[in-house]
Amino acid sequence: MSIVLVGVNHKTAPVEVRELLAFSEEACAAGLRTLVDGEIVREGMIVSTCNRVEVLTATTSEQTQENQERITHFLSQYRHLPPDLFRDHSYSHFDDQAVRHVFRVASSLDSMVVGEPQVLGQVRKAYSVALEAGTAGRVLNRLIHQAFHVAKRVRSETGIAANAVSISYMAVELGKKIFGSLKGQSVLLVGAGEMAELSARHLINAGVSRVLIANRTAEASDRLAKEFGGAAVNFDNLTDHLPDADIVICSTGAGEYVITAAMAREALSRRRNRPAFFIDISVPRNLDPAIGNLANAFVFDIDDLESVVSSNIREREREAERAELIVDSEVMQFQQTLRVMEIGPSIGALRQKLQDIARSEMNRQRSRLGPLTLEQEAAIEALLLSTVNKISHPLIDRMRRSLETSDRESVEAWRNLFDLED
Amino acid sequence: MKSLLLAVLAAYVVSAIHSVLAFVNKRRALQRVSDWAMAIGFVLHTTALAADWFIDGHYPLFSFPETLSFLAWTMVVGYALVRYRYGAHALGTFTLPEVSFLVFLALLIGSPITPQGVGFSDTWLFPVHTTLLLFAYAAFFAVFVASVMYLLQERELKLKTFTAIFHRLPSLTTLNEIATSAAAIGLALLTLGIATGMLWSSSRYGVLWHNDPKEIFALLTWLLYLLLIVYRSTAHWRGRSAAWLGVAGFVLVLCTLFGARWMGGYHVFG
Repeated sequence: MSIVLVGVNHKTAPVEVRELLAFSEEACAAGLRTLVDGEIVREGMIVSTCNRVEVLTATTSEQTQENQERITHFLSQYRHLPPDLFRDHSYSHFDDQAVRHVFRVASSLDSMVVGEPQVLGQVRKAYSVALEAGTAGRVLNRLIHQAFHVAKRVRSETGIAANAVSISYMAVELGKKIFGSLKGQSVLLVGAGEMAELSARHLINAGVSRVLIANRTAEASDRLAKEFGGAAVNFDNLTDHLPDADIVICSTGAGEYVITAAMAREALSRRRNRPAFFIDISVPRNLDPAIGNLANAFVFDIDDLESVVSSNIREREREAERAELIVDSEVMQFQQTLRVMEIGPSIGALRQKLQDIARSEMNRQRSRLGPLTLEQEAAIEALLLSTVNKISHPLIDRMRRSLETSDRESVEAWRNLFDLED
Repeated sequence: MKSLLLAVLAAYVVSAIHSVLAFVNKRRALQRVSDWAMAIGFVLHTTALAADWFIDGHYPLFSFPETLSFLAWTMVVGYALVRYRYGAHALGTFTLPEVSFLVFLALLIGSPITPQGVGFSDTWLFPVHTTLLLFAYAAFFAVFVASVMYLLQERELKLKTFTAIFHRLPSLTTLNEIATSAAAIGLALLTLGIATGMLWSSSRYGVLWHNDPKEIFALLTWLLYLLLIVYRSTAHWRGRSAAWLGVAGFVLVLCTLFGARWMGGYHVFG
């Protein structure tokens, strides 16, 4: 049995190609039924997200070229795409490499932003579609469950998903660094831009209890106040509300400083020096950068946030290197699992065959033994079976060892010797 | 008791190493190893101290190595309390190596062969005096560590450049709370410690104050932490300046604890 993966992702194919290939859930199921013939292609699943379309199969054929062609052919036929166009943008992985790729995708090491967790859910979905279509069998079940396990290990053992990589989420992360918990903190939005709104939403999810909105036009602030269950305040009386805010998010279109250092100094002293966190996402800047020199005030402008985001991304990439090591060791373990899975049926068949021989001999001679008690009958059966098992044990052991060392020729020889089917 | 203390040292070293690794790698499994090793070390350490007390017949806090070992013990208690209250295991990464070092020093110096301090144990005031002071020093050590972590983190937030350490420290507010409450507890213990010392001295020598270096440093320490508490509670001082005071206070503590030893005076026994 070999595992084959053919696909395109955001690195190899532009969106124009990916959108041609994308599968809806229904199309996935229908496509899988076409692709999986039960003869050569035994199992299959399709992962289709906005960043990737990948077809994963387990086939009985060991011809890599042929296996790859089969999927390429299927995709270009099914999606009406010229095969050459597809070939230019696609990649193929076989066996160990395919396993590694699946593990990396599930662990979000192959994602556009490393460590973002959505892809795991998408793989889960794709797997359940394949299960429903009846195209996920022994091999894929093992592979995908192992991939979930690897993804979990990577998340818990590395910091790959630890730090925020979006500007709007930065407010939450830095806020937590300053205030500990955000529960019970209050936030003041100065200006009601889209980014400020998104940041506020993240902050509310993280536990911020009070939202104040100051905007030049009352409609926008009233709308947001209603939506967040907060209060709209007068833009011209900012000084009155500044001391109430632990976090201030500024995003107006104003050309000058909306909050000056003097305003901030007064607010801080009225806050009895409790720390305050100022975020300025407007260009030109609305917060006087001199506020950052005041004690217990922390000011981040858009460039600061962006540089933190990019340093977080770099940190994630460093963590990703550690994650690759986990993937490596899991791939090696999975190879072992696969070999045992392959030998499983052969071992079972061999044992079954020998036991059948013993039983049929017993049946042939049974009449000559005359009447026996139940215990005697059981004793004879035990005697026969244990003789068979004791003789076959070293053989099975040798067979397992040849498989574990990937000695395919010997395995074939063992199978021929005992006349076993796959 | 030397072998028991060796086992204590081994447990603390294991705990310290795993705590540092957990800090670097952010692995919970390593943190658990560190916690268990510390717990085992602490139980053994307590046993060693109790055995010293009952077998040798004097309170195990008189000679210099005894002081070091006892101080390590109080620091573990202090860290465990902070850990329980605030869950700040980063503090352990800074505390446990020191704890290990103190136990190592205690072992290296070794106990004097002739039992000391026999004459001092006849009244309960002297052991209470020393014990209270060592717990106060452990509290001040916690203030110091929390202050250093505060300063490191505040600096990174102000400069907006985050090193690896940033993601591993507790929040500024948490550090501030740890420093404030540890300073308050430390000050209370220090006050009681000084008071019992004075009582003991007046009952034995009829004098309250000997004016020796250790006493003067202790008084300075007391004044500094009083200042810290007053300023923190009136909230004019918070954050960076208070953190610097927490660092400065610890320098005085070190002078009181070790410096005075080399300046001679009434408080030098062992």
